[in-house]
Amino acid sequence: MAVWDLSVIVEDLGEDAPAISLSVTSDLHVGGVILKLVEKTQIQQDWSDHALWWEQKQKWLLRTAWALEKYGIHADARLVFMPQHKPLKLGLPNGKTLRLRASFSSPVFQTVIGICRVINLRHPEELSLLRPIEEKKKKKDKDISEELYDLTQVPLTSASRPCLYNGMPAHFADSAQMEAVYKMLSVTQPPPAHEVVAKQYRPASVVDKAHIHGRWLDSSRCLMQQGIQGNDRLWLRFKYYSFYDIEPKYDVVRLTQLYEQARWALLLEDIDCTEEEMMLFGALQYHINKVAQSEPQLLTSTAAMDDLESALQSLEVKLEGESTSASDMLDTMSAPELNDYLKIFRPKRLTLKGYKLYWVKFQDTSISCFKSKEECFGEPVQQINLKVPHQAVNPSSEGMNEVYLRCEDEQQYAQWMAACRLASKGKSLADSSYQSEIQSICSFLAMQKTNSGSHGKSAEADESINTYSLVSPRYHKKYKAKQLTPRILDAYQNVSLLSLTDAIMRFLQIWQSLPDFGLAYVVVRFKGSRKDEVIGIAPSKLIRIDLGVGDVVKSWRYNNMKQWNVNWDIKQMAIEFEGNVNIAFSCVTADCKIVHEFIGGYIFMSTRSHNKSNTLNEELFHKLTGGHEAL
Amino acid sequence: ENTEPPPPALPSAHKEINLSIGFTDLNESLNELEDNDLDALMNDLIADLNASEVKLAAEIEGLGPPSATKLDLPAPKGPVSELPSPPSPRGGTQQKPRLLLLHSTPSPDEIEAQIKAEKIKLALEKLKEAKVKKLVVKVMMDDGSAKTLMVDERQNVREVMENMFEKTHCDCNVNWSLCETNHELQLERFFEDHENMVEPLLAWTRDTENQVLFKEMPEKYEVFKNPQNFYLWKKDRKTLRDMKDKDKEILIKENFCGTSTIVPDLEGVLHLKEDGKKSWKQRLFQLRASGIYYVPKGKTKSSRDLVCFVQFDNVNVYYGQDCKSKYKAPTDFCFVLKHPQIQKESQYIKYVCCDDETTMKLWVTGIRIAKFLSFCRPRTSKVSRPLLPSSPPHSGHAFLLRHHWAPNILPSASSSGCQERCQTAPKAPEAIVSSIPHTSRLRRPLTFPTPSTTQRRAPPDFLPPPPPAASFLPSSSLNSMPLPPPPAALDLPPPPPDPEFLPPPPPMQAYAGTGCLHLLRRLHQAHVGTGRSKAGGALLWVLEEDSTGATKEDYTVPPGRRRRWGRGLNVRTDACHEEKAGW
Repeated sequence: MAVWDLSVIVEDLGEDAPAISLSVTSDLHVGGVILKLVEKTQIQQDWSDHALWWEQKQKWLLRTAWALEKYGIHADARLVFMPQHKPLKLGLPNGKTLRLRASFSSPVFQTVIGICRVINLRHPEELSLLRPIEEKKKKKDKDISEELYDLTQVPLTSASRPCLYNGMPAHFADSAQMEAVYKMLSVTQPPPAHEVVAKQYRPASVVDKAHIHGRWLDSSRCLMQQGIQGNDRLWLRFKYYSFYDIEPKYDVVRLTQLYEQARWALLLEDIDCTEEEMMLFGALQYHINKVAQSEPQLLTSTAAMDDLESALQSLEVKLEGESTSASDMLDTMSAPELNDYLKIFRPKRLTLKGYKLYWVKFQDTSISCFKSKEECFGEPVQQINLKVPHQAVNPSSEGMNEVYLRCEDEQQYAQWMAACRLASKGKSLADSSYQSEIQSICSFLAMQKTNSGSHGKSAEADESINTYSLVSPRYHKKYKAKQLTPRILDAYQNVSLLSLTDAIMRFLQIWQSLPDFGLAYVVVRFKGSRKDEVIGIAPSKLIRIDLGVGDVVKSWRYNNMKQWNVNWDIKQMAIEFEGNVNIAFSCVTADCKIVHEFIGGYIFMSTRSHNKSNTLNEELFHKLTGGHEAL
Repeated sequence: ENTEPPPPALPSAHKEINLSIGFTDLNESLNELEDNDLDALMNDLIADLNASEVKLAAEIEGLGPPSATKLDLPAPKGPVSELPSPPSPRGGTQQKPRLLLLHSTPSPDEIEAQIKAEKIKLALEKLKEAKVKKLVVKVMMDDGSAKTLMVDERQNVREVMENMFEKTHCDCNVNWSLCETNHELQLERFFEDHENMVEPLLAWTRDTENQVLFKEMPEKYEVFKNPQNFYLWKKDRKTLRDMKDKDKEILIKENFCGTSTIVPDLEGVLHLKEDGKKSWKQRLFQLRASGIYYVPKGKTKSSRDLVCFVQFDNVNVYYGQDCKSKYKAPTDFCFVLKHPQIQKESQYIKYVCCDDETTMKLWVTGIRIAKFLSFCRPRTSKVSRPLLPSSPPHSGHAFLLRHHWAPNILPSASSSGCQERCQTAPKAPEAIVSSIPHTSRLRRPLTFPTPSTTQRRAPPDFLPPPPPAASFLPSSSLNSMPLPPPPAALDLPPPPPDPEFLPPPPPMQAYAGTGCLHLLRRLHQAHVGTGRSKAGGALLWVLEEDSTGATKEDYTVPPGRRRRWGRGLNVRTDACHEEKAGW
């Protein structure tokens, strides 16, 4: 058999190094080529991760037993010998950048599985990689100094599940540095400065959003095939909004990143919500940040424990300095009350009277007003029973009466406000949450103060979170920080006692119940139509959106789908639904592989079941999403 | 009491109506009860008291040293307790309210004494939280008869219904509901099974003519029978009617079994009665999980422009009756949103009128789902809520304490309160209740009775072949390859026939029960609770409301009931604190 020269570039020798020339015959198998090559380089190193990449055909020669002729390689082939795993700069949902080694030779689906294994994130099938949006690099040269979390030293293991140490994968326990990386992954980030939010790219329209979804990488091809080079930047994001089997105990990283992705989607107005919802999201962010800062390694502690813990704590506080005689005990046992002179104002039509001073007593869940302190044993002038949401509003059987109580200072306000809040939940002052309620009101007031004072310019202390960083830029325009504070505070009262996990779960739930949740948009042109329209791909259906009105025109559910076909040449998708409904459209903003993969992917997500819980059916995924490559 | 004959003479609702709830004289009000009511009530009470005593005793026995040592607590030296029987309202005697509290003499070691004091304090705190209100409720049946039963404030509606099933021997199907009517406002709503029963009744006014009814409400769980009518309401009638069972199941799975319950995306023009005015105005409303919104004039339907009409915390949804004649509503299909405390005409009541009955039921159900969602969210206030609805009266408490001191014993207890409730909650409605997010165990709660063979999934090979690679094919042709039904469907067993769609409540003989109910009065409020000191003693504390509504305490110990706990305990009764009681 004829001997010919095969030249191979060895990446490890450096960019400018000349190609190594090998004398081969066509029946030499790839493994033999590699062996010859390594011998010729005379470099002693671990070559086990290296493989040959055929540049012209954009193809890895991974079957080492195949002969060169079987691959169809001739002397003109440009081969590169390089590691299959290369470092990648991975933008995480929380905005941080992680540097790690990812597989450039396996389909992206598997690459993601590998990445998720390293960062301990379960259910990698829900995530994928996408090309980042190019940032305007005009004035920003500072970006280079961006913090990088490095995980490239983590050994590549084949174990499906890394062994855990202290609840985190063992490789994170190696050094303080690694632990810091894990902390970044598993602990929520503080709210971003609102300038940061304002500066980031925000999709302004459905079409803008559609363009983002055109950036997803193809799951069935490898990174090399998609033009990704070592050290390139990619985003890791949740792609399929069908979150399966969330278990806070095991899903610390997953929940944290999911929360971060949801938070950013809201802050960047990627998903729309109402004002009321935004205030609640803001309140939850504030709370989550506060709790996350105070208890670093939790997510494992539970609501019930927290409750008792705080109950005990407040008891301890109360008991301090108290004698233990029986009578004293009984004294403290009797329901605590608040007594004070407060100014009261009852808005009524035709009254011009202002605030009037009364001796006000707060007991159990009701407020009694007396003309003076001395009369407090007689009949009250007025008694208000509060089992209502709002401090100033008191529903009685006739409806509601509004009563304003004016307090002298913040401490007093916090005490009374907390009492009213508890009463509206049917709790008395004896309730263990009273102190924490007071504290939370105080800290929120403090936040308002710092905001109105320094206008959040320098966010030094963790207490001084700018309310602007909790809501999307739309509300920066609409409201002053000062106006936002009471609204967020209001929403905050309903969530202030949640544990970290519960708060995150709640955040995610509200996010998931938004009408636009989980919609991936693609601009398409329906067959026979001359105008662009938008298809929204949801976890359970496709919707057709009229771009002019922004209205959902039609929706088709996947479970009514009989078949779908892709014509790769004219980039057209044809879908047939039950009842002889046929639709066909060509994709404008995204490759139809992306659309195809979304639909197949969602169908795949719905096949997951507990019976075969932990084994991911990769084959099925590729069957449903593969397209060309699956054949 | 099951053998109790139906009341011979129907108690006239109107007569009962005039009885006040917050009566002052127990004797008098008891006299006004019909004999059979009284008998039934007595039975209940006695059973109740016996049960609680037995349980208490059992609990105390269970509090031996083992648990104390296990919990690594100081030796049981401190608090002691005694167990008087809860006062019985029998005979209407004016009961002296009493509190029984026993203390050990302070131990010489001051630190230890303080620890002890803390324990007692904690126990007392817990006791207070565990005080239990009880109502005697008269439930009106469809046929005009009535049943009387006692409702404990820890009971949820489902549990009360189980009592009703026992009393009425009805067929126990899932449609049975307890409803409250508001006579003055002419409103009606059925309670949700997970709701607390006593709470809404306490909002009634003194001289109310409101009633509690027991009747079948087919719409109660209609959303599980025909989810398509709610989640695909935009589709045409025929599609909805011909919906396959398989697709219904998928809808349920999708909307109730995911990480979050999904609220139907209702939208439509409804008539709104303007605040305090007689006119009705049309508005384009949208239902979202966070509330009902409307689209202001001249604005788009995008989320940012929506104006919040109402949020669901502290709001209940009612059916309005006779709105057409009463408020000049365009139709009689009105639903009403109001705070449960509001019992009379008020500008804070929101009346919404729909064009037809279907729309009304659509919206009412949608609002119920949204309300349910907030019910399901993680709760923090477990202490004031019943933890284990079906558990013995004091176990909720014991549970909490045990949990705190020995978290490892009960790993499952670390979940949220609502979860606990769900796990122990009974049958049918749990299709809803158990669709709680973030618990894998509850993930697939729809356990329809089906042959197990249907649950086997088809092998994955069965799945659709991927779209073919067109590059090998003529470019103009679309390759048609048949695609089997989406695999999601394979996962689900076919739904059983409609009547069994939701598992029926516990089996009972099928008597047809009809009727209607009426809250009689608050018989007494007995506050009973136990707590445990760390030392392993138990405390029982009985407080009772006296006729003036103020509660006093009495620290006498019934003779012969004194007991000693632990070693070296000194028992002291203290009878001198009556004037100190700040209740």
